[in-house]
Amino acid sequence: MAQSDEEDDYMNMVFEDAPKGPKHETSLQRAARKRKEGEARARQKTKAEREADEEAAREASLATALPESNKGFKMMAKFGFKQGDTLGQSNDARKEPIRVNVKDDRGGIGLESEKKRKFREQWEEAERLAKRSKEEEGDYLEIRRQEQKEKKAERDLDSAQRTAERLSEKEAEEKDSLESGEKPLKNINVLWRSRARRRVEIKRDKQQRRELNDSIASRLPTLADADDGDDDSKVAQGRDLAPFYTTLENDLDDEDPELAEFEALPVAERLLKLLTFLRDAHQYCLYCGYQYPDAEMEGCPGLTEEDHD
Amino acid sequence: MTAMTKREFDEDDGARVKRVKTESNGDGKTAAGSNPYLAHWNDEQPATKSEYGSGGGLDGFKRHATTTKQASAAEDGPNNAFTGRPLSSKYMSILKKRRDLPVHQQRHEFLKLYQESQILVFVGETGSGKTTQIPQFVLFDDLPQQNAKMVACTQPRRVAAMSVAQRVAEEMDVELGQEVGYSIRFEDKTGPNTILKYMTDGMLLREAMHDNNLTRYSTIILDEAHERTLATDILMGLLKEVVLRRKDLKLIIMSATLDATKFQKYFHNAPLLAVPGRTHPVEVFYTPAPERDYVEAALRTVLQIHATEPEGDILLFLTGEEEIEDACRKINLEAQDLSREGGAGPLVVYPLYGSLPPAQQQKIFNPAPPPATPGGRPGRKCIVSTNIAETSLTIDGIVYVVDPGFSKQKVYNPRIRVESLLVSPISKASAQQRAGRAGRTRPGKCFRLYTETAFKKELIEQTYPEILRSNLASTVLELKKLGVDDLVHFDLMDPPAPETLMRALEELNYLACLDDEGELTTLGGLASQFPLDPALAVMLITSPEFYCSNEILSLTALLSVPQIFVRPAANRKRADEMKELFAHPKGDQLTMLNVYHAFRSEEAQANPKQWCHDHFLSYRALQQADNVRLQLKRIMEREELELMSTPFENKKYYENIQRALVAGFFMQVAKRDGNGKSYITVKDEQNVLLHPSTVLAEDSEWVIYNEFVLTTKNYIRTVTSVKPEWLIDISPNYYDLAQFKKGEIKQALQRVVTKFQRKEAEQGRR
Repeated sequence: MAQSDEEDDYMNMVFEDAPKGPKHETSLQRAARKRKEGEARARQKTKAEREADEEAAREASLATALPESNKGFKMMAKFGFKQGDTLGQSNDARKEPIRVNVKDDRGGIGLESEKKRKFREQWEEAERLAKRSKEEEGDYLEIRRQEQKEKKAERDLDSAQRTAERLSEKEAEEKDSLESGEKPLKNINVLWRSRARRRVEIKRDKQQRRELNDSIASRLPTLADADDGDDDSKVAQGRDLAPFYTTLENDLDDEDPELAEFEALPVAERLLKLLTFLRDAHQYCLYCGYQYPDAEMEGCPGLTEEDHD
Repeated sequence: MTAMTKREFDEDDGARVKRVKTESNGDGKTAAGSNPYLAHWNDEQPATKSEYGSGGGLDGFKRHATTTKQASAAEDGPNNAFTGRPLSSKYMSILKKRRDLPVHQQRHEFLKLYQESQILVFVGETGSGKTTQIPQFVLFDDLPQQNAKMVACTQPRRVAAMSVAQRVAEEMDVELGQEVGYSIRFEDKTGPNTILKYMTDGMLLREAMHDNNLTRYSTIILDEAHERTLATDILMGLLKEVVLRRKDLKLIIMSATLDATKFQKYFHNAPLLAVPGRTHPVEVFYTPAPERDYVEAALRTVLQIHATEPEGDILLFLTGEEEIEDACRKINLEAQDLSREGGAGPLVVYPLYGSLPPAQQQKIFNPAPPPATPGGRPGRKCIVSTNIAETSLTIDGIVYVVDPGFSKQKVYNPRIRVESLLVSPISKASAQQRAGRAGRTRPGKCFRLYTETAFKKELIEQTYPEILRSNLASTVLELKKLGVDDLVHFDLMDPPAPETLMRALEELNYLACLDDEGELTTLGGLASQFPLDPALAVMLITSPEFYCSNEILSLTALLSVPQIFVRPAANRKRADEMKELFAHPKGDQLTMLNVYHAFRSEEAQANPKQWCHDHFLSYRALQQADNVRLQLKRIMEREELELMSTPFENKKYYENIQRALVAGFFMQVAKRDGNGKSYITVKDEQNVLLHPSTVLAEDSEWVIYNEFVLTTKNYIRTVTSVKPEWLIDISPNYYDLAQFKKGEIKQALQRVVTKFQRKEAEQGRR
């Protein structure tokens, strides 16, 4: 029954709305078109599509004010109402109906705006990143090359520092064999001070671990010698460690602006400084791997690696 | 108007009979003499001052010049100042309590201001006693009985009007319905002796339609004005004009919130009197971050309070019946675990919402349970409520309030013509009110389930008054009947958006209640006689034309009461099976009619309560429908509208009813969208789905609907199938095709018109 209605419907549409349609349509074409149209009409919209339609229609209507052709408008006009006026006699009467907001979850008050805020932040962050990567656009290979270069520079920096330290120590030993052992960090050349600092840190960690083991052991009842009763010695043990500890800690905890400043420089620059130092102080070229006998450094093509290519 | 006077006479006669009864009680005196309120209908022998013996009575009371002292003496008895009968001992004990109420302290001040000015704004928080005491204070000074007038006190809710009237009748030691009565839609419990009448604001508005100056009243008290119901707002607009015409009328606006200056300003700077509430400080807590799920957060908070906080009851605000029942179940389960593990005392949970049967509502006043073992952790009660508990109900013992910040609020938008209840954030004022509930008995705590920033930034200051959120068709009809012609400039406290009025006028015009000039038509005048939506009223009035006014009368009653079908969560399947028994393939309205006819059958009436229970129907709703039907029938008889039915055997029996439905609901029609499940509403073009509750069995291309419900989906609820030719036939104005947007609906209607014309042409040829 409904089927025949649909047929009617279709016929009607053709005659009314499309009188200028293709006049010479073969029966096959016509049948195909009919089938297609029928299918389109019969296809059930998915839930999501339907909901989107629903909401779109609602929002569209909600955003449209009633037109002046509305019968009610004419009745109101009789009493002097004009488009844009408000009702009543107060000055701050509403112009627009209250918005309709459908709440479709159980989110608490403020969650929505919190979400929006987070979303906005994320979006801004994404935008910023996108912008940066665009700036850096250049191709992928270029970026990779840059990375490789940086890594290489870091490796070079490390070996340069190691060499510089070794050479400096050797020089110091030759000059004055007495002055050896622990030197306060501050007195170490800033160019390789980070290495020394790292060593001290490792040492402290080890120390602490040992200390911890000791104190656990001391607290374990099985290990405690009941007869001995020399609690004092255990305390003393702990105290013995204290001075060393403090120096280490002080050393590590102290602000070291000089080092920080140096570390903040780009790798390439730090490397350059070290290379220069090695040449000036020790007539050493990292890339030749050779300590020249004099300041002329004859045979070395130059300061940087590129010079050695 | 004539009808009203007639009714009064009838009731007078009835009352005389009652009076004979009191005489036979052996009082010794004639009731007419002892009851000053009867003076106005006993002309030969006006009541004189010294007839009350030594009982005090109202000796020497001069209208609007009495003192607190005089009133107190009269209240002390020994005889009732208003009836002359000896006062009961119960009265005396209540009187003592009444004098402890906060308002009593200010009786003198109140009286002074009341006597001095015509309009007075009175502010007193819930529990100050204003609703019960102020009208009584007024009685002793206004002495309405001397002029055959009454004091009216309006309430936004029916239940409040009834229960307060009951309470005040007890306080005054009189029978409810005599000196003190109430009047709500479809129920009038007042008599000729009535001097104090509690009524819904809507009822007073209806009375004003017949009596534009409200001449029956000497004082009108608008209570709970802060709730800003539609009727209260309209009444304020009206009374603002009436007080100018009637200098003898006194007006008191009572509000429970401190924002009363707005009322003062609106009423030409009327004097204001505030009674400080008896409240304790309330500590407010916010959450550090917004909640993902406010219900879950609420449950967590309640249980945490129960496990960790000292003694004191909990009040949790949620939004609706389903949510509340669900929460109650969950809290119960968890709390049992808690107390079994010894982590807390016993916890009793009570739901509270409007559609809950009164007996169940009363349970919230039960005391908290005792400790499980003597000396154990104290028991506690937890009330999970809609915003009824926000202002209108006073529950003692609440120390902890949990406020997720939402409530269900009515929303109307004239652009898509949808009036729906939507879960929306509350206002700051509401939040403060909620918090205040924790400080009634002792210092309390309020847990707001949102951040302090959200409170400041996201909540609006005041809840939108109802007038901004309602369809005004009914109101416009009432105002027209009230003689307010220029609705554009009618002085409302918060005028709605112009489009709301525009839409209302348009709808009334299509319903033929207003003509093109906006003047009330005969049909409109008649429709305004019915306390119904204009569409329902028009349907009822035109139903004799379709030979089914009996059926439409029943249906109108059924559509005016709460849901008649009961579908308990635990028994959904069984309930659906039972509903299937009544199902009519053509739709829900006809199904409801089947239910009603079955309910009225002898078999069901033998034990209606059991019958309803067995069939998953609401006995209360059906009983109410019975009552509404009776009231409407009286109006129909008065207006000489014929009651008739098409014989049931006639095959047009149901079709006639469907056609009559169209006569009222032609503006609420939807057409199926292609072959799919969804429909499109006519003219507004909203995509909608049939509500899952519908019984519509037939494949129906066109349906009328009773309600457009907005949730996450758009639903139409309570639908019946109709034929498009009926639409064009019954409401040619609305279905004027020239006014339609191009599209599927217009095409479909065009086809019907063409068919019509062809048929007519054929007939013409013959």
